[in-house]
Amino acid sequence: MSKKKKVRFGEPVNWRKELSLLPGYIIVTVWIIFTAAFLFWILAASFSTSREIFSGNVFKFESGFHLENYVSAWQAQNVSVFFANSLLYAVVACVGVILISAPGAYVLSRFEFFGNKVIKSGLIVAMSIPAVMIIMPIFALTTQWNLKGRILLIMLYIFLNVPYTTTYLLNFFATLSRTYEEAAAIDGCPPAKTFWIIMLPLVQPALVTVTIFNFLGVWNEFFMALIFASSAEMTPVGVGLLQIVNSMKYTGNYGGLFAAVIIVFLPTFLLYIFLSEKIISGVTGGGIKG
Amino acid sequence: MKKNKMLIICFILPCLITLLIMYLYPVGRTVLMSFFSIESVTAGMSDWSFNGFGNYAKIFNSPAFKTSMWNMLRIWLVGGVFTLSLALLFAVILTSGIRFKKFFRAAIYLPNVISAVALATMWIQYVFNNDYGMLNKMLKMVGLEGVKWLGTDMKFWAMLFAFIFGAVGYYMLIFISGIERIPADLYEAATIDGANKVQQFLKITMPLLKGITKTNVTFWSVHTTTFFLWSKMFSPVDTEATTIVPVVYLYDTVFGGKGVTTRDAGAGAAVGVVLALIIIVIYFIMNKLLKDDDLEF
Repeated sequence: MSKKKKVRFGEPVNWRKELSLLPGYIIVTVWIIFTAAFLFWILAASFSTSREIFSGNVFKFESGFHLENYVSAWQAQNVSVFFANSLLYAVVACVGVILISAPGAYVLSRFEFFGNKVIKSGLIVAMSIPAVMIIMPIFALTTQWNLKGRILLIMLYIFLNVPYTTTYLLNFFATLSRTYEEAAAIDGCPPAKTFWIIMLPLVQPALVTVTIFNFLGVWNEFFMALIFASSAEMTPVGVGLLQIVNSMKYTGNYGGLFAAVIIVFLPTFLLYIFLSEKIISGVTGGGIKG
Repeated sequence: MKKNKMLIICFILPCLITLLIMYLYPVGRTVLMSFFSIESVTAGMSDWSFNGFGNYAKIFNSPAFKTSMWNMLRIWLVGGVFTLSLALLFAVILTSGIRFKKFFRAAIYLPNVISAVALATMWIQYVFNNDYGMLNKMLKMVGLEGVKWLGTDMKFWAMLFAFIFGAVGYYMLIFISGIERIPADLYEAATIDGANKVQQFLKITMPLLKGITKTNVTFWSVHTTTFFLWSKMFSPVDTEATTIVPVVYLYDTVFGGKGVTTRDAGAGAAVGVVLALIIIVIYFIMNKLLKDDDLEF
């Protein structure tokens, strides 16, 4: 694709060709203008008062920029807590998943042993098991073991992402040459050390991609959080935002609501601005996550 | 070799434990639960009493469950037709050689990376709003009466519309990857033979996209079977008949909700098993279809 593109940019604009593509341009542009319009409106509304929002004048900023919407969302509406929780869950889960998945993927791709094939297909089956099939026993189990608080959701997010991450990394370890390990063995490096020091850094690009997807997945997760986040101090952003929406009837603070929406929206949006190429190629390239 | 054995065991054990605790045991227990009458989800096995297919009979006789299945079917069919057609349309446009392809592609995929709760809130609180909403403003601009998008009549379609908007980008990416795999010389040959763009699309692109389309249909089916978030967002406090889907029904039955007098974890498990069976059937059918005509190109 890239080669073709370079040639095309070198050419002068071929107006006949562009004209034949016009309907395509129009359709895509209309769709994107719609997206942009409503994102900008939300952004503008997050700086406006509730009265300005209701009178439909959010782009005029007649009474100035109301940054206090963000302050009230962050403090009074508890977004700071939700945000910190989501960040904690996403970061710890991303690291935890790699610590479990990378060694597993490595031995699964490198060694023949009893149960290897079963575990590989088990991981693939696990990826397609709907959450509704596992939540009830897990709920019972965690109550029985008295697991609660943030550690519970962290553990769930780690375990939930293990099948996908392991399967994704497996293919990358399989492409590495065995000579690395042989050379390390000759130099007297024990196999476990070889893995952590030599093999793991070699799959760094795959680790980055899979971690981006895991981060997005945990940040946007809703179902598990709704069931397992039993107290306000362990609620992540998704469920937190739902609670803010539900309390709108009583507070009527629309500016604060839109500010909260922007705060929740921003981290993954920024991530996407910088990494959209990597994310998009990850969706269709190395396995697809639903 | 002995060293390796230790290594293998240490490295694979966490993975294996995850599979057992997080998947194998829960799935087994859920299947078992669906045949017992259990009130509380946390009840120990000693409190279960065997119920045969009673739970299944109960859910299939429940009007709420039937409504939820009907809604799911409508989402699957209507939403599927629109989502996959739009996705294919965008994929064809983006691979037709237009400029700024990467930007367009990224912008259309964007709703898939942002929090769906935030996205749904934007739709509900802004686009569909009665007083200052985007859609009603546009309708008024062309002189039409505003519509109560979140009223009982329109809520389902409003929800589906918003959901489709978010989902298109994902299926578009998969279609694009399929189209880009089709060799360019096929199109060159067709152009030389005098086939126009529409003919090329119908005679080359469509047939060669069969496999990818089946993949997309499979994903879409699984996606709609586990549909939950949008329904919850559009009826956040009380579940409503217009937006109820099976997973919401399950959630209400197991964890309590409006109109649920007694919680019933057994019935919830039965719903889970029914949904899992639907997914298995979909995979089975799609695998069968895929094997029948594997195109090589």
